[in-house]
Amino acid sequence: MNEEGNATAGRSSAFVVSARKRKLQKITKSAGESLLFLVAAIVAIIVLFIFYFVARDAIPFFQIRGFSEFFTSSEWYPADDPPRFGALAIIYGSLMVTAGSALIAVPMGIIAAICLSDVLPFSMRQYVKPVIEMLAAIPSVAFGFFALVILAPLLQSFGGPILMWTWWLIATPFLLLAVIVSSELLVMSISDDVRRQQVQRILASAFGIVAILLLFFVGRGLQKIEILTGTNALNVSIILSFMALPTIVSVSEDALQAVGRDMREGSYALGATRAETIIKIILPAASSGILAAVILGIMRALGETMVVWMASGNSSHIPDPWFNYLESVRTLTATIAGDMGEADQVTGSARFHVLFAMGLLLLVISFISNFISERIVVRQRKILSGQ
Amino acid sequence: MNLGTRKLLDRSFTALGIGSIVIMGMMLLVVLVPIVFNGVTANVFRGTVEHRKLLYNEFRRGDKAELQREIVESDAVRSKAYAMLDQFEVEMSSMDEAKQAEYQDKYRQVKESLKALLGPRPGGDIPELTRYKYGQTRWSKAEEKLHELLYEKQWDYSNPDAEAKEYFVSRSAGFQGTSLVKLFPYVEENLDRMLLPEWTIYWGFITDSSIDSHIFGGIWPEIQGTIFLAIGAMLFAFPLGVIAAVYFTEYAREGFFNSLLRSANSTLAGVPSIVFGLFGLAFFINTLKVSESKSVLAGSLTLAIMILPTIIRSAEEAILAVPKTYREASLGLGSTKWNTIVTVILPAALPGILTGGVISLGRAAGETAPIIFTAAVSVGSAIGLADVFNSPTPALSWNIYNLASEHEAASEIRHVQYGMVLALVTIVLLLNMSAIILRARISKKLKG
Amino acid sequence: MKRLGKKLSIAAIVLLTATGSAEAGNSIVIDGSTTVGPLAKSFAAYFTRKYNIAVTVSESGSGNGAKSLINKSCDIASMSRPLKPQELSAAKSKGVNPISNVVALDGIAIVVHPSNPVRSLTTAQIADIYKGKITNWSQVGGPNANIVVIQRESNSGTQESFKEMVVGKENPVTRNAETQASNGAVKSRVSLTRGAIGFLGLGFADSSLKKVAVNGVMPTPVTVKNGTYPLSRPLYFVTNGQPSGSVKQLVDLPKSVDGKKIINELGFINKY
Repeated sequence: MNEEGNATAGRSSAFVVSARKRKLQKITKSAGESLLFLVAAIVAIIVLFIFYFVARDAIPFFQIRGFSEFFTSSEWYPADDPPRFGALAIIYGSLMVTAGSALIAVPMGIIAAICLSDVLPFSMRQYVKPVIEMLAAIPSVAFGFFALVILAPLLQSFGGPILMWTWWLIATPFLLLAVIVSSELLVMSISDDVRRQQVQRILASAFGIVAILLLFFVGRGLQKIEILTGTNALNVSIILSFMALPTIVSVSEDALQAVGRDMREGSYALGATRAETIIKIILPAASSGILAAVILGIMRALGETMVVWMASGNSSHIPDPWFNYLESVRTLTATIAGDMGEADQVTGSARFHVLFAMGLLLLVISFISNFISERIVVRQRKILSGQ
Repeated sequence: MNLGTRKLLDRSFTALGIGSIVIMGMMLLVVLVPIVFNGVTANVFRGTVEHRKLLYNEFRRGDKAELQREIVESDAVRSKAYAMLDQFEVEMSSMDEAKQAEYQDKYRQVKESLKALLGPRPGGDIPELTRYKYGQTRWSKAEEKLHELLYEKQWDYSNPDAEAKEYFVSRSAGFQGTSLVKLFPYVEENLDRMLLPEWTIYWGFITDSSIDSHIFGGIWPEIQGTIFLAIGAMLFAFPLGVIAAVYFTEYAREGFFNSLLRSANSTLAGVPSIVFGLFGLAFFINTLKVSESKSVLAGSLTLAIMILPTIIRSAEEAILAVPKTYREASLGLGSTKWNTIVTVILPAALPGILTGGVISLGRAAGETAPIIFTAAVSVGSAIGLADVFNSPTPALSWNIYNLASEHEAASEIRHVQYGMVLALVTIVLLLNMSAIILRARISKKLKG
Repeated sequence: MKRLGKKLSIAAIVLLTATGSAEAGNSIVIDGSTTVGPLAKSFAAYFTRKYNIAVTVSESGSGNGAKSLINKSCDIASMSRPLKPQELSAAKSKGVNPISNVVALDGIAIVVHPSNPVRSLTTAQIADIYKGKITNWSQVGGPNANIVVIQRESNSGTQESFKEMVVGKENPVTRNAETQASNGAVKSRVSLTRGAIGFLGLGFADSSLKKVAVNGVMPTPVTVKNGTYPLSRPLYFVTNGQPSGSVKQLVDLPKSVDGKKIINELGFINKY
């Protein structure tokens, strides 16, 4: 393809291009292209700059205080004399709320993605997608406000009953299903039809009683729980799961869509139900893409600032016992936002640099998980296109 | 497993899926409904005559003659209540000392409550703070204050080993046998004539500046700051992002360097927002010194970096979605590659690029963490365009945080906070919805 | 459609430019303590109204105020504690000469939820609560309920004053303590939480909270001013060099009649 030739041929006046003009065109073309390249490279430069500038202010901290205190001690007293910068409890707090939100958002998100890609008809999907996008678009400070002003007082005054009803609503259908399925699985070996039905009925009622007792007593136990403070890890986990859900749903839906129709049709043709097809065929095929979605969703929760700052209670301790979600925690992001006030870079104290060290930690975690999820997606694309 | 169970499992699986989507919809509703419901009360409420006084005195808004008439009307009713106070004061001065001491504190409380309800007594000492210059401007708050006037909240501390329960004591009972007893039923019955509530739509909430640190007035400086920051971020990020997308789609050759640039892009997309704030502080303010300290410019630059990956990605998708035939036709007609990009591909991809831009605009408007250290202040007047290079600005997102958790009267001005949240959510969701509609149109057009 | 868009955008630009600040260039920037925040904001409003000089107020903590002053990015640092030696030396090295002007006095009120029957605590008891040695209200004569300890962020001057006066500089506060970013946040947390204890500037302590007597003395303007209430401290407006011009007017506001009135109405205590 001779572009210059084509271009000039289009003009009626000049059929022959002078050497000088051609040279000029070539130069402008390559100059333009390198300019474009430069602009595109800006992103990479920014990333390098972010790493450099955050690291530049983070490294002095490790030079002054070393590594072991930051990662192994949970004594966070930056303002005391002498100060102590043990960030273990804060790192733990970040992990705790992230894990809590993942616990809610990951199963829900994957199931919702499956529903979107395989269950709902196309016409319905058009209405569901905007809902997810709107959930993703709501600013984090609005979620934080909701957590602080509405959810925290609710949890504090009706915490027990809320927990009880949540347990009942979630557990009842699952237990019912478990009773039916398990009673049936257990009697499969009995060949006599009548006898099998009898045994099954007995088993089902026995399991049913156990399930009801379980529902009742766990519910009672939950109802008695008194939540001392509404700004706690549970509150934050719930709200963060709202924020992580859209990412998980949309990315895993893409992964599910990428699996293709032929696999689904093959499975249906062999007589599998939709649920069996999805669980045994589609999910394994899309698993790496879904994993990438989960990583991205978790990152959203880990990097979130406003919600945790407003509603986590900000106490830098490891809850007792360690899984107690009803206690306040403190996270890396909230510490950076909240402590920057005293971060006097003027006096150059470790207190300023420790916040950058936390920023660097977040940055490194996000970089690694991004890298992993990207690799996963690339690999999946290769596998799928290879098939 | 028999077929029945398999079917049951299949059905419950479907139900689970639909259930989780329904729960997601509910989440959206649970968050949005209280925000919308309470946010509207910032604009639409039963305003009292005090509200109209405030509007006239602070903003010169409203009909002066009408207001004067209302003031005269309400003062006529109020003066009777004040007369009762005077009467009681005379009565008190004639009591013996022990009785005086008994009533003094209770009477002071009554006077304070009445002042909180109706504002300072005409002719008396005028407070310096605007919040104490007026009585209750909202009828719903006035009713709360009326309750405080009529009943005293007390706590039963009789059992030191248990948490006290609250109970209410009628104040009038405390003045049994004196002339002040009449005051309480009088105020209760005539409060609406004293305050003259009527339904008000207060558009000024959007267009006015705040008065006395957001206790009265509106949120225009915050809205304007948000607009400045978001548009500033777009000014930097949009051209850069589109050019980068053109490079990625049209010029980049597959290779190590290209994939590096792409991973850089996704890395940037994954950086936590607070780290952008740290970077903005360390780079734009401390190193480049684009401004002495926080400024709209520094905030916009920080936000621009944050939204850059989104813009690049959506622009790339939009450019890739332009049918190949367009490009081939243009090249076939003899135009150069660059010419094709500028005159054919970009215009065709423009709606898609704009969609991404609009969504990023919303994201920039809603983010808080990057502007904490770079642009936001809690109180400030609206700034002019000339000031964006060196002055910080209040912004909706930051001020929501500030009012909800740092303001001294945070629980008294919930309606302002809700109003701000509603304003922010409306801006962001409107932008997003227009993006959704834009996209739906494009896909229709592409389908033909 | 296109023309409408153009018109709208022009209108928007005009609108945005028109709402410029009162007087660009002649504005005062205050940065610092959240405790002094209400005072600074009210002074700012008063000043803007009376002299038409724009005043911006950031409430980002006393430490941040000092930092901004040293960086010369604010005219007045509002602080709820005196400058620290490190800050002074940093200021000297940058050629800043900080002058502290007392604006008002403030008591640190110890507050609990109104349902709490405890009326009085000694400083030793409060210290033990914050050190984590006392964890139940029954240990100080209250009901059998866990104590929810609420403290302030480490950048808070109130936190530092409280620690110095009650807990002791060398003793750490219990790690179970919840941390709030501001006086307002402490107020709303304590007023909503049975079993909570917190401390805040006297100006913030209203009827939604119960103030506790410290060593038998209730915090009131009188006891703070005459020094019988043990937890009180001055609040400062720190300026670079002796204030002059409009900054001086603002710093001297507490000496004027109107300034005194504002201080009183906000619940702070006049020094002058």
